[in-house]
Amino acid sequence: MTVIKLTTQAYCKMLLHAAKYPHCAVNGLLVAENQKRKDGQPVLCVDCVPLFHGTLALAPMMEIALTLIDTWCKENKYVIAGYYQANERIKETRPNQFAEKVAARIAENFSEAALIMVDNSNISMGCYDPAISVFEHHDNKWKCRDASIDCCEDWSEAQKIMSALLEDRSYDSLIDFDNHLDDLRNDWTNPEINKSILHLC
Amino acid sequence: MASVSDMYDVTWEEMRDKLRKWREENYRNSEQIVEVGEELIQEHASKLGDDIWIIYEQVMIAALDCSRDDLATTCLHELKKQFQGSHRVKRLAGMRLEALERYDEAFKMYNDILQDDSTNTAARKRKIAILKAQGKSTEAIRELNEYLEQFVGDQEAWHELAELYINEHDYAKAAFSLEELMMTNPHNHLYCEQYAEVKYTQGGIENLELSRKYFAQALKLNNRNMRALFGLYMSASHIGASPKASAKVKKDNVKYAAWAASQINRAYQLAGHGTKETKCSLKAVEEMLESMQIMPS
Repeated sequence: MTVIKLTTQAYCKMLLHAAKYPHCAVNGLLVAENQKRKDGQPVLCVDCVPLFHGTLALAPMMEIALTLIDTWCKENKYVIAGYYQANERIKETRPNQFAEKVAARIAENFSEAALIMVDNSNISMGCYDPAISVFEHHDNKWKCRDASIDCCEDWSEAQKIMSALLEDRSYDSLIDFDNHLDDLRNDWTNPEINKSILHLC
Repeated sequence: MASVSDMYDVTWEEMRDKLRKWREENYRNSEQIVEVGEELIQEHASKLGDDIWIIYEQVMIAALDCSRDDLATTCLHELKKQFQGSHRVKRLAGMRLEALERYDEAFKMYNDILQDDSTNTAARKRKIAILKAQGKSTEAIRELNEYLEQFVGDQEAWHELAELYINEHDYAKAAFSLEELMMTNPHNHLYCEQYAEVKYTQGGIENLELSRKYFAQALKLNNRNMRALFGLYMSASHIGASPKASAKVKKDNVKYAAWAASQINRAYQLAGHGTKETKCSLKAVEEMLESMQIMPS
């Protein structure tokens, strides 16, 4: 079974999204480079596109986002490789029906798609533990992967940078697709945050 | 630690006015409210006059959101001193207990209020909020329905109910709740648009047609609602391509979708004026619309 890993940029933007809207559920997509992989090579999610906050379980805007981001991916030689969701309640870490549906739809196009649930209780300034659980598709069910498997390409780098971003309150300037729909000038690729992360690396 | 007034070069009056704006428009930017409000209370309390009490309340609730129990307790203390025996203050004390996850004590506090005054809607709604926080969605929905039988005009409650139903994937009941809202607020484009989204999610040709109509209605009420525009495009496209639609219906919907596509392109072009960044969005949108173009059959 292919392993999914996240780059620092993907991991940080995902958690910044959750941190920006602590009182809401949030969700988004993860993208990987579209290239042939050798057997056993992990799928590396290089970027994250934050989508919505608040009421997530409605179809039309999700469909628009998937189609639009799919088009963007093709232009940048990426592929949509995963879906993440942070639930509204801190103790709820299981994916709901909507999450599973979206992840299944992504898996139709990319068989090794992952469903990532953000573990809200593990988000802290110190970032001691990775705050995510990775679910993989086995026999038509989404099963949680062993937590001991490293989810980040470079965890110590991700940890350091995430901590710095939270201190800086960088999440204030994170743009998700909802923000984009509110004002089209808002850029959901978050170039400024990407620059900050690169700078901190 | 630099003060807010130094960092942003604002006067205390501007800070007070900002807090009022956030209060009136029901923003939940708690971190900012705590930052601005705490400084206002600490440095300028004497200048605020009677405004200070409502500011204490606003800052206290924001402090609970940010786990600042110290600040919340200070505000609560001042309010208790000033308004002894007040139900409104008691509800705030209950909210603090909720923030500390002492739900049983909070529940008791709200029940005390209700014993004294059975029509106290704030206490009833907090009880429902506790159920929601505990993950007891079915009970929360049941209690909220009971509440709405008595307080039929409470829009905030109808909206909360709609969202609870959506989270439970019970789209039919969510639609019903939104219908109540649309009846009493026919000019609110947001309710129209959300109703259309629920209908679309339910699926099936009839729901898609209804969804298209309501997206169109939302657009009529506010022609800058991008979600309504995108929604109109998606629903019309799906109907136009559906084997279950009659030839005339398909033809009409292909036209609506084409119109929506041109409006979407126009909106992106207007937004992209001058900025390099949005050019990538514009290109992606153009390509997406092209690739989804429905061939009239």
